[in-house]
Amino acid sequence: MDSLIAASARALAAGDILGALKRVALRDDPPALALRGIAMAQLGEHPRARELLRLAARGFGANEELARARCVVAEAEVALAARDLGGSPRTLTAALATLEAHGDHANALQARLIAVRKLLLLGRLDEAEAALAPLDARGLPPSLAAVAELAAAELALRSLRIVPARVALARAHEAAGHAGVPALLAEVAEARATLDRPAARRLCADGEQMLRLDEVAALLASDALVIDACRRGLGTGAAWQSLARRPVLFALARALAEAWPGDVGRVALIARAFGTRHPNESHRARLRVEIGRLRALVTELAQIEATAQGFALKPLAERAVAVLAPPIDGDQAALAALLADGAAWSTSALALALGDSQRTVQRALAEMEAAGRVRSIGQTRMRRWLSPPLAGFTTILLLPTTLQME
Amino acid sequence: MSQKTSKDKPQATAHMAEIVREYGPFAGAASIAGVTHDGQRVWAATGARLIAFDPESGEPTRALDCPCDAGTAFDGSHLYQIAEQRIDKIDPASGKVLASIPAPGHGNDSGLAWAEGSLWVGQHRDRKIHQIDPATGAIIRTIESNRFVTGVTWVDGELWHGTWEGDESEIRRVDPNSGAVLERLEMPPGVNVSGLESDGAGLFYCGGGGSGKVRAVRRPKAAGS
Repeated sequence: MDSLIAASARALAAGDILGALKRVALRDDPPALALRGIAMAQLGEHPRARELLRLAARGFGANEELARARCVVAEAEVALAARDLGGSPRTLTAALATLEAHGDHANALQARLIAVRKLLLLGRLDEAEAALAPLDARGLPPSLAAVAELAAAELALRSLRIVPARVALARAHEAAGHAGVPALLAEVAEARATLDRPAARRLCADGEQMLRLDEVAALLASDALVIDACRRGLGTGAAWQSLARRPVLFALARALAEAWPGDVGRVALIARAFGTRHPNESHRARLRVEIGRLRALVTELAQIEATAQGFALKPLAERAVAVLAPPIDGDQAALAALLADGAAWSTSALALALGDSQRTVQRALAEMEAAGRVRSIGQTRMRRWLSPPLAGFTTILLLPTTLQME
Repeated sequence: MSQKTSKDKPQATAHMAEIVREYGPFAGAASIAGVTHDGQRVWAATGARLIAFDPESGEPTRALDCPCDAGTAFDGSHLYQIAEQRIDKIDPASGKVLASIPAPGHGNDSGLAWAEGSLWVGQHRDRKIHQIDPATGAIIRTIESNRFVTGVTWVDGELWHGTWEGDESEIRRVDPNSGAVLERLEMPPGVNVSGLESDGAGLFYCGGGGSGKVRAVRRPKAAGS
């Protein structure tokens, strides 16, 4: 490494971005291009940063593949920060192989974490979990450890595993403290705050009660039969029946659960499920059919008994019934609740789950997107909707580890 | 590995470098940019601090706070240190910068050595070694190498330079007139040379780049050359 590159890298590591740029501003050799790219990325100039890093990668010679791989990783991280998720994962995989072959463990982990975060942002949670599981964050730079723990916490929160989420967030907090990066600490604090915010309402005969995420998890793990209007399904403990694609059946189940232990009249059920206040004989016949379907689906959890007025829900083994609803009413809250699982939903799947028209759902999504409460990826029929990540993934922070070009 | 050296003069004999001892990493020094030897102590440039250690015990004995981004040299009474685009002449007792001259590579400079009244400056990716006037910085002549130059030293009339290109690192003796490679010491894989100085006798001291280490490498006997 020559003297100005060393001086520039030293300035960058000390946070003096402009000082670093000043020293290499007029140089076009690959190490200088890489430093300029990293400095530009830290200034938030993502497109220029990517251009410089790509030029740097191309400029390194055939026998400098380690330096080239580090540039590829840095560029992938800038792409992630710019939320450009369209790139092929193959380049990053090749760079990762190079880094591992050369024993550059910190930057190899960095490359893996970029892949994990990208999968999280794309809503491909199973793949993200599989990619994250084998990572060993011990003995690595604290900033990388913090990001690994944040990703683990995000995955745990999405599947309502509150205790592992808390543990991961505590570790992330500790690692971010060691790293001394304020933006990372802020991100951990933000993710922790989601644990204390109301996540859902429990509806009871005598009113409603706000629940935090851990209370939701406790309720779902309890013995009660839970009719969950957030995720559109019902279950007891591990037994879970999704009704996300059966909006009529879900409307019936929810109406019965809200009236429990009482019954619900046929007219009221028809109004809830079919949206008509003037039922005729065909509605009654259809109600019988739908109740029959619901009965068949929930036979492991509850019985549905006919009464003089209509029908009543009778959970097996004398269980209590609880109704869980999004924290506020309305289309947007229902959408946000559905997207809270972190997976990527198509507009049609959301419309089907909510029993609304695609047009209605699209309108609500457009408003939410404008407010930053949902994200979309892809175009036209490939478009998928996701909730914003719990951890913001301010990625630029990690770039300085790629600095040790030699 | 020897196949890759077809560009070299066929006379260049290659040996594995024999690493005698490792020093460091030293507290607060993430990497080593340059090394020199003042007869008693080894000095290592670590970015913002020039540290000296006793090669017998390996214990740090002195430290000077000064920018030190690349090569270091010693002329018998003063230290010379490349910092950004200049070469500082430093009083080792006080750490005071007595004079500065522009570096010939305008910041592309890497290794530094003192010999025969001149400073010898490696120019890293340009694969050059300049002989310059230590008073003015004027270039007296230039030797072309065919590898990146990361360290330069003179011993017993022999000019040696360290190279580190990609993953390959060597200590090479070159003909000071033609630049022809005369002898090559190959470092083990993953062990790199970021600064070079002879102790005037049987050892080379090599900066280990990002490993933060300084390594002592045995100098081959002059026999046969």
